[in-house]
Amino acid sequence: MEPLENNVSPESPLAELATLLLGIALIGLGILAAAWLAVEVSVRWLPPEWEQRVFPDATNGDPRARALGALAERLARHWPEHSYRLRVGVLEADEANAFALPGGQLLVTTALLAGVRSENELAFVLAHELGHVAGRDPLRALGRGLLVSLVMAAIGGAEEARVAASAAELGERTYSREQESAADRFALGLVAAEYGHVAGATDFFRRVADDAGGGWLATHPASADRVAELERLAAEQGWPLAGERTPLPRELEARPR
Amino acid sequence: MDGLFEFGVPALLLVIGYFAGTMAEQTHYKEIRVRELRLRRMPTTNLRRPPPHWRVREVALVTGCTVISVDYFKRFLAQLRGFVGGRVRSYESLLDRARRESVLRMKEEAAQGGFDAVINVRLESSNVSSPLRRRNGTTGVEIIAFGTAVKLARQP
Repeated sequence: MEPLENNVSPESPLAELATLLLGIALIGLGILAAAWLAVEVSVRWLPPEWEQRVFPDATNGDPRARALGALAERLARHWPEHSYRLRVGVLEADEANAFALPGGQLLVTTALLAGVRSENELAFVLAHELGHVAGRDPLRALGRGLLVSLVMAAIGGAEEARVAASAAELGERTYSREQESAADRFALGLVAAEYGHVAGATDFFRRVADDAGGGWLATHPASADRVAELERLAAEQGWPLAGERTPLPRELEARPR
Repeated sequence: MDGLFEFGVPALLLVIGYFAGTMAEQTHYKEIRVRELRLRRMPTTNLRRPPPHWRVREVALVTGCTVISVDYFKRFLAQLRGFVGGRVRSYESLLDRARRESVLRMKEEAAQGGFDAVINVRLESSNVSSPLRRRNGTTGVEIIAFGTAVKLARQP
């Protein structure tokens, strides 16, 4: 009797591989899309009060923080839906940069404070980070980071999840181009409302562009494009580009190193 | 560089596994078919006792045992299959080869001893795992075939 050889499926293993990979990728994408949507929805609906309770104050008692906080509060008066109790901290760092953290917290580095020449410049940086707070960007980044590490943990296990968690930490500080320009538009509006003009808003980026480098560039869009975009926006809204720059408050003046 | 290592090495192993595994399998099947043809006249049955009209002169235990390893490609395919369920086709040929090879070895042992048939044939399988591989310890499958070889008295 000739053996029938029907114990082995005749299908090509390569075809099976392709089908399985495609199917699993589609399912994975579907889950990811659903989870992404869940993050978007919850970010939109979580009240700021809850956010502030969950993320405790990470700011320190730097003497300059009080003056920065006062400036941030002044700017936030022009943000009608504002319901955060703002907390501003100073971060000891060699790179000029500023961050928004979940819970309405703003961090400004000492190097940035040493670099700004007028209150208007500083106001724009603070207002930009306020723009991220208004867009709920830090919370969204956190949610997405959490999502990525969950997915990685499901697929690979603890090691991959740990790698993804550190990637999520990075993700907390970099936002998409859309989030950045939304924050810029928001910031320019606040600065225009506070000073009556937007002079000085782009000074900082101009200087950063000249220096070509620094921490701000690592986590924010290229400065030259940004200045052009901001000036176009100012012209569109009829905000004067020229005006008198307000000097820095005494507490924030650069101290000799 | 990191990505090259993380994805490049498994991709290379997949390609090696696919080609080497396919080649080994095809060679093995060719050999199995030839040997099966050679031994097909030897009766092999799982009946416990010989048919009543047989005059058994001598019996002996004969065994055939085969271990066949999974290749990287097959393992990967089976892992993917494990996500969604269904027939693990990539392991089917593995078990088929091991089973047929074991039966062949058993029959070859009987033929070498001058036996005429093998009765009461049993097949058993087990996993062979290696301590080197921590994740799902299967490196291969073992199938053992054993039975009672019988020598018959020639009819006068």
